[in-house]
Amino acid sequence: MTLVTDQEVLSPKTPKKSPSPWVIARRKFVKNKLAMISLIFLLIVIVVSFLAPYITTKDIVRVDFMKISLPPSSEHWLGTDTNGRDVFTRMLYAGRSSLTVGLGCMIFIVLIGTAVGAISGYFGGKIDQMLMRFTDFVLMFPFLVFCIVLNTILSGKISGLWTLIIVISLLMWGSVARIVRSRVLTEKENEYILAAQSIGCKPSKIIIKHLLPNVASTIIVQATLLMAVTIVAESSLSFLGLGVPADTPSWGNMLFEARNSDVLKDKLWMWVPPATAITLVILSINFIGEGLKDALNPKSRR
Amino acid sequence: MLQYTLRRFLSMIPLLLLISVVVFFLAKMMPGDPFAGEINPSNTNPQYIEEMREKLGYNDPIIVQYGRWVGKFIQGDFGKSTVYKKPAAEIIAQRIPNTIFLALTSLVFTYFFAFLMGMYAGRKPYTLGDNLIATYNYLALAIPSFVAGIVAIYFFSFKLGWFPFNGSVGVGIGEGTWAYYMSRMHHVLLPALILGLMGTASYTQFLRNDIIENSRKDFVRTARAKGTKESKIYNKHILRNSIIPIITYLGFDIATLISGAVITETIFTYPGIGALFLESVGRRDYAVMMSITMLLSFLTLFGNLVADILYGVVDPRIRLD
Repeated sequence: MTLVTDQEVLSPKTPKKSPSPWVIARRKFVKNKLAMISLIFLLIVIVVSFLAPYITTKDIVRVDFMKISLPPSSEHWLGTDTNGRDVFTRMLYAGRSSLTVGLGCMIFIVLIGTAVGAISGYFGGKIDQMLMRFTDFVLMFPFLVFCIVLNTILSGKISGLWTLIIVISLLMWGSVARIVRSRVLTEKENEYILAAQSIGCKPSKIIIKHLLPNVASTIIVQATLLMAVTIVAESSLSFLGLGVPADTPSWGNMLFEARNSDVLKDKLWMWVPPATAITLVILSINFIGEGLKDALNPKSRR
Repeated sequence: MLQYTLRRFLSMIPLLLLISVVVFFLAKMMPGDPFAGEINPSNTNPQYIEEMREKLGYNDPIIVQYGRWVGKFIQGDFGKSTVYKKPAAEIIAQRIPNTIFLALTSLVFTYFFAFLMGMYAGRKPYTLGDNLIATYNYLALAIPSFVAGIVAIYFFSFKLGWFPFNGSVGVGIGEGTWAYYMSRMHHVLLPALILGLMGTASYTQFLRNDIIENSRKDFVRTARAKGTKESKIYNKHILRNSIIPIITYLGFDIATLISGAVITETIFTYPGIGALFLESVGRRDYAVMMSITMLLSFLTLFGNLVADILYGVVDPRIRLD
């Protein structure tokens, strides 16, 4: 290592290896303060939520009638809810389920959307037409309405959070498929794809090894923004009482209590924390998304 | 143009049929018996239940049942609500004006504020005002509408007491009077403001960027060179060009607004289609649920159609063949 630097110092004219696009993107991202703060905040939220069982020892399930609706105190940092459960503890567990749904949906949506979009864009012709017709069909459903209907059908058959993850993913992959397809369509016209085809690469290998890495930047940005959208969808449905089952805390479920006007009016500690948490998490995800978009765009200065 | 519109309209029919198949089978898969409401619950004699099921056609093959449902649906018979014991069409027709009123009012707010903020930010980019508007946009995109709704109820209904927080009209006010209309306006204002203000962000951002882009174009320089007043350049020359893309958003808004109403109406307990839909899901009122799902799907399709057609109308460069 030192040898190389010495050489560089001695002969400044030797060409330096130019950084890869990913390195450039990382440097740009790190310089973006808002995005970095958001990323750190989100990471803290994720770590704290997933370590919830180790951080607090309070019981989230047991109903305690002696402690109903207590205001914040040193024992219960954020007070207790109408069932006598500690709000702070529930906040952490709720974060876990909300983030699980967000991450789970993101992974599923990106997998389905990328697969459909890449196949459709690469092969073109009949396959493309069929897949895109199907995508248009799925995109046509009014999201919230079909979410509620599907969730009602599946709830009870598949346990807990999975119902919601599957339902949201099934209804949302369409936009990713469309974006990936249009990117693949332009990307596959490049010579390197022709070269790969001419030396006899299998289509699956061309798509995975050659096309997708070049489309990855678009997918990454989409995935980030999707996480925000799915978390909002999850909490909205839970708020309506039709999302995550009531025994699993989620930020939306906790806000469900605010539909009771007595809670909304006088018991701020029950609904302000989850409302703030959702807003801050969505805000930080959006900032990270903006930062990534900026960092991965080779045309952007900064 | 007309031919294109007609062709697009006709192409909606197979899609609607496909949706109707999906909706029908989803309703079949819903837990519970869709025809339970038709059968007298106090009579538990299995023979009677079997008889009624046979009479109501519940034992027919599923294709036959689907055909019967679609046939009736096209003729305007949406089935009978098992909760209200009335035709579903009647109940929906009762609720629809409320939802449309809310959607239109919020649309007015969206456009009003988006234009105000977008034009200001576009005219004075990178100033304090522009940054404030950008901050607001980020917040509006991040805050889910139901969170905004409950916070608004907390401040404006409970703390300040400016607006009522439930219903669509005050209790005991006679229909048709001045007070009646004022009361309706008063009830719709807060939900419409919330829906409207939350929807402005993308419009504002779009308008701002478009105005900035247009203000660098040659026709603006020409106008300036001729000594046109700055306000006239922005309000007439640039705005006319920037409005075009925004108009096409209107089509997509139709569906978004009405689906968004499910949440807003629930928070404000406003008696519209969205609240009715949730109620029908909760109480297993299948006829109403299926009808509303079909209605909203149709509106989504129709909104996309409107958007496509408006594209062609406002921008003749786009060829519609």
